Amino acid sequence: MLKRHKFKLLLFVGIALSSCDPLVNEFNDIEDAVMYRANSIIDASAKDTVKVMTWNIRFGVARLRFFGDGCGDRVILKKSEVYEGLEGLAEKIKQEDPDILLLQEVDVQSKKTGYIDQAQWLLDNTDFNYGAYGSMWESQIIPADGLGRVNTGNLILAKWRLTEAERYQLPLRGDQEGLTQYFYLRRNVLKATVAMPGKSFIAVNTHLTAFATDTTKQKHINGFKTILDGIVAEGQNFVAGGDLNEIPPNASKLDYCIEDQCEDESYHSSGKPKHKEGSFFGSEYTWLEPLYNKYSPAISLSEHSLHETDNYTHSPDNKLKLDRKLDYLWTNTAWLDGMTHQEATELSDHIPVSARWVIK
Amino acid sequence: MGNQMRKVFQFFIIFSFGWISAQWEGESASVLASGRREVSLFTPFRMGLSNKSEISVNKFLLMPSISYKAEMAQFRGWKRAYRLQLTYPTMVMRWLQSPLGMKLGEPDKFALISPEFTIPQMASIYGELIGSKGTPWSGQLTLNVGVGIGMNGKELEKRATVDLPIIYPRLSVYYNGFLLKMGGEYWRQFKERWSYVMDYDMFVMPRGEGRYTFEHKGLMVWTKSERFRLLFGYKLIAGEYPFGAQAHLFPTLDLQFGW
Repeated sequence: MLKRHKFKLLLFVGIALSSCDPLVNEFNDIEDAVMYRANSIIDASAKDTVKVMTWNIRFGVARLRFFGDGCGDRVILKKSEVYEGLEGLAEKIKQEDPDILLLQEVDVQSKKTGYIDQAQWLLDNTDFNYGAYGSMWESQIIPADGLGRVNTGNLILAKWRLTEAERYQLPLRGDQEGLTQYFYLRRNVLKATVAMPGKSFIAVNTHLTAFATDTTKQKHINGFKTILDGIVAEGQNFVAGGDLNEIPPNASKLDYCIEDQCEDESYHSSGKPKHKEGSFFGSEYTWLEPLYNKYSPAISLSEHSLHETDNYTHSPDNKLKLDRKLDYLWTNTAWLDGMTHQEATELSDHIPVSARWVIK
Repeated sequence: MGNQMRKVFQFFIIFSFGWISAQWEGESASVLASGRREVSLFTPFRMGLSNKSEISVNKFLLMPSISYKAEMAQFRGWKRAYRLQLTYPTMVMRWLQSPLGMKLGEPDKFALISPEFTIPQMASIYGELIGSKGTPWSGQLTLNVGVGIGMNGKELEKRATVDLPIIYPRLSVYYNGFLLKMGGEYWRQFKERWSYVMDYDMFVMPRGEGRYTFEHKGLMVWTKSERFRLLFGYKLIAGEYPFGAQAHLFPTLDLQFGW
């Protein structure tokens, strides 16, 4: 009898001490990506030239006034608003018809966007067949601003099967205190092999820190480049891209604090913070030089210099006047016909960049 | 640092049971003896009245609630009671929009409900029937079934839910207008000072995006005296939320005082 009670006691204590699901996914340094597949597969044959596009889709809310990346006051958006945004994105994607699409800010299970799995929705509503997803923010609850549950990240979509898809963790922001850092974004680089029949190649997607005020962004750029260097060292070719949240080294403007300030904010005046987080590039505009020096961009520096405004890819919030370039495509070989699709300004706060890539 | 933060938040979740579990916690059909008072970390303050009834009030003042429980006539060996509870959640839900008084994006730390939503004046009434059979030494089984009805001044935006275990099912009545709850409890004393409790509750939430929650609790109870009891164990929760189904397991600890 006593033994039975001891067993019950041990059972109770054992269950009570067993661990709970982690609130926040902190990720390992290298993890397998989450794989997706369209509901119906459309046969895709091999090509000599593939079209690649990168796009930060702002979790499908177009230019709605979300609080987190501008001056808006919206937090939890209506499902109907999100579907409307996604439909706009899908229409543009189908119109451009890329073979490889590198997407950033894709929500797969976030309260703020009605828990719509946007990765699956986009697969099922475009001509892509396969997807690989790497989360940059996964938490059962973000205990701030009523955000609730979040799972958002980078997505590679392809017409061909994706294999060996991996998520590489980048350093956390170094300018945050512990509690904020624990619940904050975990930037990453997503890498996958595109198994095009006859010739496979590597696709790489990333979204680097926007608001760090220390050298975290430089570490992210270096981390991204290190992965590209590793691909080349293995004798493979890559198409890479994403929202690097950095301006080109020859950008004519470095300071956007005044343009980006909200009604109740003030910068560059005494007694106030000098610069708005994410809006001042004066100390970092050279950080992309190593990438420009080693790899080919879809929009070259000379093209950017000649037609700078035509190649802007971003304006915050609901401001439709694009004013800076933050989004890039890179390869270790060469691009054809690099394009910045400014006609898509109303579909997100970032503009897609596309180019054709000749298979070698 | 990650582990530390996780523990801080688990602590917050576990101790938040204090205000939220004040609603409709299962218990036996017995009432407190006249004049006796009991309170614990996670249950309301209870006081026995003279007419085989008891009254309880939530000690968490931001979510005031009052309940009245009275014994009924026995039926085929089942001791029976009914309980009525009135709860006013508006203050706590508004508080959850800005617990530290910060504005959106500052960031509004610890806000679990977005400040963009208007929380209307609301109240709920909950009625429950309870039946118990047996004794603690031979094993006491309690069954209960209850219905909650939400009374809102204006409709509460469904996007404003808190999609967390414990909280989601207990606030669901204000979003959906109706809640059905049923459960059981088995309490057995096996030594002079030791007993255990196995408890099960099911929340049915029609019209909600999350439609059900199952909660199971296992507790060891150490009774030092009439004045103090220590309870420890686990709580297992499996339920449906607006994002889908999920299960959670929490350690639990409670201290009860009586006089």
